[in-house]
Amino acid sequence: MRLEILTLALIVGGFTWAFRFFPTRADLSALPQGGALSRFLAATGPAAIATLFTASAIPFVQGGMPVPLAMGTVAVLAVFAVTRSVVGATMAGSVGYGLGVWLI
Amino acid sequence: MTNLAPPSRFADGLLAGLPIVLGYFPIAFAFGVAATGQGLSGWETFGLSLIIYAGAAQFLALALVTSGAPVLVAAFTLVAMNLRHVLYGPALMKRAGAGAGRRHAWAWAFGLTDEVFGAALGQLARGRRFSEPFMFGLGLAAYSSWLSGTALGAYAGGGALAGWPVLEAALGFMLPALFLALLLSILSRAQLPVIAVAAGATVLVTLLWSGTAGILAGMVAGALAGVLGIGGRDAA
Repeated sequence: MRLEILTLALIVGGFTWAFRFFPTRADLSALPQGGALSRFLAATGPAAIATLFTASAIPFVQGGMPVPLAMGTVAVLAVFAVTRSVVGATMAGSVGYGLGVWLI
Repeated sequence: MTNLAPPSRFADGLLAGLPIVLGYFPIAFAFGVAATGQGLSGWETFGLSLIIYAGAAQFLALALVTSGAPVLVAAFTLVAMNLRHVLYGPALMKRAGAGAGRRHAWAWAFGLTDEVFGAALGQLARGRRFSEPFMFGLGLAAYSSWLSGTALGAYAGGGALAGWPVLEAALGFMLPALFLALLLSILSRAQLPVIAVAAGATVLVTLLWSGTAGILAGMVAGALAGVLGIGGRDAA
């Protein structure tokens, strides 16, 4: 393993671990219920997942293949609506998208 | 918040990690294929997944390394990209409630990726009780999938999926499909404004500036929408 690759991995890996671990030590017990910081933290989850979905979908929207994108998205929505299963919906979305690519 | 659900076990975490296993494997496989295709050795490719364990940053690392960027410049670009993770720990522990164990957080927090955070939050929203064994199970399922996918991709080598364009496309859609399913699992009417603001800010800043800036902007804008109570005080 080249030294520069190892150095890069150790710096990025070390900082990433620190970003993930140290904030879990924050003492949140003194936070007033309904206070600004409390609301900020509670909204972080939905905001993060919405952001990551949007960011991962943008390249597909820009890819100019609306049929597979629509088929994949509808498959996720439909299977989740029926089964409430994240596994099933994820798989269905992938199959739906692949089917759309195959069709065109 | 009082939670009367039984304590979550390690096995519950493994099971809850199944969607991530399915989502991670093909992406990690694609990373392994791309990395070896761009000249990294199998061990270098596996080492990046083993030590960094952050998908988007690893793909960007490939671009930076192969473009000849200085190590420190590349490293701190990637560090900046992963800064968003500082929000996950406090948000998760707040949702877990007072008294939630965190003695071994130094270990399980290593695996607190975007998807693990999203899955953990989804499980807690559906009544699951937080526990450290659960987090270890969830994290281990995801990490194992990431490492095995990388190893197989590196073993298959560059261009392994070139003859299978439909399969490649389907595997490539796993990540947005997973995020959409996770979003649906935590969705409530009160959260729609937060989600709309986050999505809008992500699109705007991504198109005007960059994808990394778009991710940070989306998360912060959505969380601020929750602070401001857009859509009602329960929006968060």
